[in-house]
Amino acid sequence: MQMSDTFFVNWTTQLRKGLLELAILNTLGSGPLYGYDIVRRLGDVDSLVINEGTVYPILSRLRNEKYVESYIEESSSGPPRKYYRLTPRGREELRRMNEHWASLHGALAQLRKERAR
Amino acid sequence: MIDFTPDAKRRFDEYLLRMRVSLRGTRAVEPEEVEQNVIEHVELALAGAPSPIGPERLDTVLEQLGPPERWLPDDERPVWRRAMDRVMAGPEDWRLAYASLGLMLLMMLTFPIGGVMLLLPAFVLSRAVVALTEERGETLGARKWLVLPPIVLALVLVCAGALLAPAGAFGAMLSEIGLRDLGLDFDNRFDRGRLFLGVLSMATGAWWIVLSGVFAMLMRPFRALFAPVTSGLKRGHAVVLTIAGVVVAGIGAVLVFAF
Repeated sequence: MQMSDTFFVNWTTQLRKGLLELAILNTLGSGPLYGYDIVRRLGDVDSLVINEGTVYPILSRLRNEKYVESYIEESSSGPPRKYYRLTPRGREELRRMNEHWASLHGALAQLRKERAR
Repeated sequence: MIDFTPDAKRRFDEYLLRMRVSLRGTRAVEPEEVEQNVIEHVELALAGAPSPIGPERLDTVLEQLGPPERWLPDDERPVWRRAMDRVMAGPEDWRLAYASLGLMLLMMLTFPIGGVMLLLPAFVLSRAVVALTEERGETLGARKWLVLPPIVLALVLVCAGALLAPAGAFGAMLSEIGLRDLGLDFDNRFDRGRLFLGVLSMATGAWWIVLSGVFAMLMRPFRALFAPVTSGLKRGHAVVLTIAGVVVAGIGAVLVFAF
């Protein structure tokens, strides 16, 4: 692996770590989901989740910090499932995070535009 | 509940054990909750597959879940686990550094029963880490807190031994044979003390002057042996030792001859 490849890999790893929480909260923004379903939905976003297991400790932490809450629901096709949903606090935090992300994204787009001139 | 073959069941149990161990001691995460989610994940991923589930099919799911040791960011893992991982699986310079500190702590715990002997292997390991980082063109960084204590302690012992041990031995000999045998005889207790201190200071000063010469000649190996602590040593430091020797010997001469 070349030096520039290592740099890129490290950078994307750091970026992914920071974005995963935002992505998990956003998947729950549309309604309650169980863990496996969250993982599947995140899997649709290209190279966001390399190790699917990383999602579960984040869910546990978000629940400990009261951004999400969990409940058990019976399933028609198997054992009962553990669902997660946003709490009012989590919804507010998600709004702030999305705003911050949009502002960052906008600022970066502006920088790229200036460079292109 | 999934029906696993015995091999797959053993492999899954091992995986869950690794997960429990890697999450243990993490305050922000509840390992039981994660385990419950992982079991549910595996059951759902393998739902519909022909029973019993063999190790190959299970491995595909576990590979996608990834190694549990990588699930938590480094800063979320307990300090002791990060340390253990560095000792067990980290780069060799970290492993050596932790082994060195471990020996140093063991030395302190077993000091009354000869634990001081452990200083030598702790020193050797610390020097190995220093050599390794120098070879890679890196700095010690946070490793210095693990590596430097044995080097500093060894340096202090060597310096104290070289500077004071001969003076101590000479003092013991002086008190043993008595000043009278040297042809010096004072009945007054104060004069005896002054004379003893004077002769001892002259001998110590003379020894330091000799030592500064040896130190100047062996400066390079001495600097290399106790690097990086002694990296800043210069010949000027040997001159300082010579001056200290002259001063101490001078004080001794004053005590012996000036009264």
